[in-house]
This record gives sequence, structure tokens and C-alpha cells, in this order.
Amino acid sequence: MKPEELGTKEENTWCPGCPNFGILNSAKEALSELANEEKLSVKNIALVTGIGCHGKIYDYLDLNGFNGLHGRVLPVCLGMKLGNPNLTVIGFGGDGDTFDEGVSHFVHACRYNADITMMVHTNQVFALTTGQANAVTEKGFVDGSTPLGQGENPINSLVLALEMGATFVARGYALQGPHLKILMKKAIAHKGFSFIDILQPCIVYHKHAMPYLNKNVYKIAETHNISDFNQALAKAREWDYSYEKDSPVPVGVFYQTSRPIFESQWPQLKTPWHTIDKKTAWSKITREFL
Amino acid sequence: MEKTILIGGAAGLGSTVTSHLIGKVFCSLGYYVFNYRDYPSLIRGGHNFNILKVSSNPVYSHEYHYDFILALDQKTIDIHQKDLKKGGLIFGTKETEPIVQKLQGPKILANDVLVGLLFKHFGVALDVILTATEKVFDQNADLIKKAVAEGYRSGSQKEKLKISKPKYFISGTEAIGIGAVAAGLDIYLAYPMTPASPLLHFLAKRQLENNILVFQPENEIAVINAALGASFAGAKAMVGTSGGGFALMAEGLSLAAMTELPLVVYLGQRPAPATGLATHTGQGDLKFALNAGHGEFLRVVLSPGDAQEAIIRTQEAFYLSHKYRVPVILLSDKHLAESNYTFDEINKASLAAGRFILANPPQDYQSYEITPNGVSPRVVPGQGPIVRANSYEHNNYGHTIEDGVWAVKMQDKRFKKLDFLKKEINKLNPASLYGKGRNLLISYGSTKGAIVDALPQMRGFRFLQISYLKPLPAEIILKEIKKSGKVILIENGVKGSLADVIKEETGLAIKHKILKYDGRPFTPDFLIDKLKKI
Repeated sequence: MKPEELGTKEENTWCPGCPNFGILNSAKEALSELANEEKLSVKNIALVTGIGCHGKIYDYLDLNGFNGLHGRVLPVCLGMKLGNPNLTVIGFGGDGDTFDEGVSHFVHACRYNADITMMVHTNQVFALTTGQANAVTEKGFVDGSTPLGQGENPINSLVLALEMGATFVARGYALQGPHLKILMKKAIAHKGFSFIDILQPCIVYHKHAMPYLNKNVYKIAETHNISDFNQALAKAREWDYSYEKDSPVPVGVFYQTSRPIFESQWPQLKTPWHTIDKKTAWSKITREFL
Repeated sequence: MEKTILIGGAAGLGSTVTSHLIGKVFCSLGYYVFNYRDYPSLIRGGHNFNILKVSSNPVYSHEYHYDFILALDQKTIDIHQKDLKKGGLIFGTKETEPIVQKLQGPKILANDVLVGLLFKHFGVALDVILTATEKVFDQNADLIKKAVAEGYRSGSQKEKLKISKPKYFISGTEAIGIGAVAAGLDIYLAYPMTPASPLLHFLAKRQLENNILVFQPENEIAVINAALGASFAGAKAMVGTSGGGFALMAEGLSLAAMTELPLVVYLGQRPAPATGLATHTGQGDLKFALNAGHGEFLRVVLSPGDAQEAIIRTQEAFYLSHKYRVPVILLSDKHLAESNYTFDEINKASLAAGRFILANPPQDYQSYEITPNGVSPRVVPGQGPIVRANSYEHNNYGHTIEDGVWAVKMQDKRFKKLDFLKKEINKLNPASLYGKGRNLLISYGSTKGAIVDALPQMRGFRFLQISYLKPLPAEIILKEIKKSGKVILIENGVKGSLADVIKEETGLAIKHKILKYDGRPFTPDFLIDKLKKI
């Protein structure tokens, strides 16, 4: 299978030059390679998207998909996995989507450790609503809703994911497609909750990000021990999502560990429910009331 | 025979479990029992009580005059003694304490001493009580059985019971639970909220034997979105909550309608606004159930009047939701959910519990195919074709659209189901008539119990119970109202919302209303008294 076979004929309405095109390409490449390597079955892939610029990826990938509500990508992913444990469930969320409206779901998704992958398009603004600050926007950012400057420090989503128990934590850069593709493949192959923070600098409402990232992004060295939680945490704190001064911005796998997946707590969850023909033993289920 | 028994005590002393045991024993002897539960929102202390009405004839309600008061503390006697009938008996700590001390057991054994005393009064054989006790308490039953036996020995027989065929004793919650299982439930998701939590417990406890999955996500927003994810994946999903949680689900309900994914929502009402009276009953969420969610979309709202109806209506909820791909709200309340009802038999509906999923889907499958009845054939991911669910307005393939032509097509498609739904619902007894008379009582839901029990004591009244609130069986209601003298709405609420709903759909105003909004259900006495004044 070729990556372009995963595309659709829908008109792409991202701004010309938007780094989201890079994410789309990496996703197509990662999924087609995984399919060619027989690591997944394309008909069993199910995507979930939220609302925001990122969500448009739903229309550009020719795969089963659920374009849900703003902020609610992760509960839908979780429900899909409970509904059919054979599905390869992949969530795409925006940073506002995931860390403002849906932050409680993210915290709990890290705890649950369901076998799903969550990729967050981090552009540090609510772009599709014309550029308001979000939970990952740097302090001092001025926009339509914060003319006096954003008052709070941003959430470091990598630290949040690590502290809340995510078992695969990575960061990619939308403009480094081949590297991002490798991260996506690793995340999807990982058994448990995988989180990739994808830096996707908005070229309209957060213009200073792209030159900064092009200058400061570096790949995490091979010597980084991905099974060392404290090393991962220290690496995650190297950049605080601000732009005041130059600081190295690491990309790559920060942490990977293994623990029982969410789905394993139900011995009855083995096959897709829709393949089970249920028969009710009425006299058996009513016996306790006699 | 007709007896009313109150058992009360501080929370944690055991009145609920004991009332259930007493009810079970009477049912095993062939009697009809209605068990009403009244408790505040606290875990230890306060005052909880249950009222058991026991009768040789079917009974669906309670009263506040007692033949027996079984008191686990002095407070119970202080509060309820004034309502003891002439010749009524009180068994309290005076009777239980010496026995509990003799057995050197925990204070909670007082319950079992009371059970022994009560059934000795009726001359029930000790082994019958002990067998029922064993069924209720599978652990530590030895000491409990000893306490029952000691209580039995210390009492004296004053009456004799006629024994007949054992009856089924079931709460509204349990009925909804087995109705859901009979309908082929796969996944139940809920965040705790009284009075819906007992359903979460009931299904969770029985998940392995019934091959269902039960999970409590982080909040109600997660609950409804996860349920839709599960539904998309092909599972039969149900969520449960009360008014506050349902408010959080409102956006998800709108999503269910837009994505046309089957979903059953169990809404157990309690008095509101806000936290309201958390452990009490009310019907103030009718209009909310009918209107929750942004945008204009189809839904079904149905409401059972007792536990037997709850089984059938729950099955219907699943059937309609899956056949028509619409959200269905099963409207209950604390009174239905937490009361126990008695039936000679409990039956399920003979509805097909099918999944309504295409077995051999075409490769060029359209998730939102426009069909004559508006229902697109359903396929789930993994079957082969691409399956889409979209919260944004979409075309037949589920791709996002912006143009007005598709928007109109899809809005019309979704509403096209209404006529077909109406026809289907007309076959499901959407409204039921009880009694004979020129005057008409109208109500829905749990108020049925007190009304049908009051009806034989009133002349000239019949009762129209409305079970489908959306789509409303307007023709039936119109016909019945037009041929009646006085028409009276009965509702556990402040304003009588059902009257507004009926007016909106039939144009007819209902002048008389009997409303109760103290958080407590109607009793036949209360209704008869109020009706005399109209």
C-alpha cells in the first residue's frame, strides 16, 4: 500500500504552508508502512478527531473516522476500544481541544492506559477561532481575548503526561516529517496509552514559533534512557513552551514503559461486541427476584 | 389482609436491607408488597425509614399509617408513633437490646431480632424466615440467623397468614437492569449520581454472568462521549444519570443525534434546580428531557410507571434507538428506581433484540445514505467499508460539508424518521387507560402507583397514563380529554410540565392540577383528599 492511497479527494482547507500538511503526510506514511509490515489492518483503524484546525484531518484520511466534539477526543477513543478491542484507535486533538476543554479526559486517559494513541497538534493558539490564547500558549501572548497579555504559564503537556502515568511519551515536529513518521509508528505499535506532542507552529496567529523552533529543535540523543522516568522528566522540562530566550527543544521518545492495559481489567472484553449473538436466559436472570 | 409496616433508624443501622428481607418473606408466602424508601443524603446518622405495604391484593403504593413500627432507635418511635394505627404495635430497642446483649453481637443484629418478632406475630414458620435470611446475607449468616431465632422465640403469635404462590419482588432499578440485559446491552457507562447509581451497581455486579461491560468514567461528559465511541464501534451502549449529570451530557446528546449513533440514556429524576433534594423524588426534568441539547433533532422519551413496565420500556428504548438510529431517553425517578414492586410473574417484551447492523455491507458504503425512511443502513468499523461519524454537517459519505444544499438534505433526512417512529410507537401502547368514569386523571411515570391504588376508592374517574412523551400520542390524549368532564393533571413537580407539553401538541389546556413538590411521592390518601377539593 502506498501512502497516497490513504488520502481522500476532499478539498484541503488548511492555510497554504500550514505544518498540518506535514502531520497528514507523516500519518499516511506511518500507517501505510505499518500496514505493509502487517503490524495493523487498515480496515481496523479508527480515527477520532476533535474540533479545531487539527480536526480537518478527519476528511483527508480515507479511514474509519469519528469527528466528535471539541475537547472530547479521548472519551470517544476509550469507548471505541471498549466497543471493539481489535480496533487500532488513533486520536488527533488540538492543544486547546486537549488541554483546555478536554484536560480532565487527558489526565484520566494517562491513568487508564488504554491501548490508544493520542497525537496533539500543538500550535499554541485556538487558530480556527482566529487566534485566542490556549492552555499551552506562552505567558505574555497578546491576542483578541488577552489584549493585556496572557497571564498564566503554559501547561507542559509532556510533564503532565509523564506525571499522570502515560506509558509512551514523545514529541515530534511537524516540519521534520521522516522523524515524526518514526515516532508515530512507535506510538501506534506501543501497547498502552501513547502520547505525541506534535509541534505545529501556526503561521497566521503564532508566527514567531516556526523560526524559533527551526532554530532550537533537536533530536534526543541515542544515549537518553527512555525507561528512566527521572531522565524523561528532566528532558521534558528543557523547554517550557515559551519564546523569551533561546532554549533547546528536544524531540523524540522521552519515555516508554509497560503496564497492564485498561482493557485487560475486563475478562469478558475479548471480541468485538457486534460479533456476539446474545441470548437472554430470562428465567435465570429473573430467579433472584422470586 | 392488608398491613403497613414502618422500619426506621439512623443511616447504617440497616432499615433498607431489613425492609427488603421482610418484603421477600411476605412475597415468598404469596403476598403483594410495595416497599417505599425514604432517606436523607448522609451515610451514618440521620433518620432513614422504609414503609412496606403488604396485601393479599396487588399494591403499588404506600401510606403513612402503620400497623407496625419496627424501630432501630428511639428517634424512629418519637417521629412515627403519632401515625400508628389503633391497635398497632411497636417493636423497638426495648425488645431487641436484651437479645443483642445476650448474643454479644454487633448492634446491627437488632434488625434480625425485629424480623423474628414480626414473623412470629404472623405465625410464619421459623425455617421460612431463616431460608430467606440466608438468601439475603450470604456471609456471617449464622449469627444473624441466631438473632432471628431469638427474636422469634421472644415474640408471640397473634395472627395467621394464608399462604399462596410465591411472587416476584423487584425494584424499578433492577427492572431496568434486566430489561437492558434482555435487550442485548453490551456496555453500561455511568458516573455516580442518586438515584441512578443503583443501576450502575446492579449491572456492575452482574457483568460477568451477563457478558456485559460496566465502567465508571471520570465525568458525565466522558460517559456520553465514550458511549458514542462504543456505539460507533458496534456495541449496544447505555448511560445513566440524574438531572445534573444529564445537563453535562446535553452536548453529547446533540452529538448522538447528529452522528445518528444509537444510544439509550437512563435519566432518574430527583428534585432540582441544582443539587436539589439529592435522595428524594420529583418529575421536574420532563421538559429538560424533551428539549436538552442544542439544535433541532429527533429523540424518543419514554417513561415506565412501575417495575414491570420498566422492563418492557427499557427493551423498547434499545429497539427504537438501534432501529432508527436516534437517542432514546428512558425517564424514571427516585420513586420508581428505589421502590420495590410485587408481581405474579415478570415478563419481557417479545421485541427483537437485533443489532440492526448490515451483515454483508457494500464496499461503496455510505454512512449517511439518504433512504425513504431516513434511516441509513448501519455498518461498523472492521467490517470492511470506511465508516464515518461526523459532528459537523456532512454528506452521504460522512464527509464535512459547508454548502446549504447538503445541509438541508441532511436535516430533512434526520427528521424523515419521525413519521415512521410515530407509526411504530402507536403499536407499543404509548398511553394506557385505567378505570371508568367521566372525569380524567392524566399523569406519567411513577405516579401511576398511587393513582391506580386510589382509583377504586374514587367514583367517576379514569386514568390516562402517558408512557411515550416524545413522540407524544397526541391523538389518543385529544380523544380522551374531549370526552371527559373534569381533566386533572397529577405530577410530582412545581408547575405541572406535562400540561404544557399536552397543550403544545393538542392545543388543549388542562385547568386542574394536583402537584406535589416536597420531594416525596404521592399516596392514594393524599390524592383522594386533593380530588375532593376540585
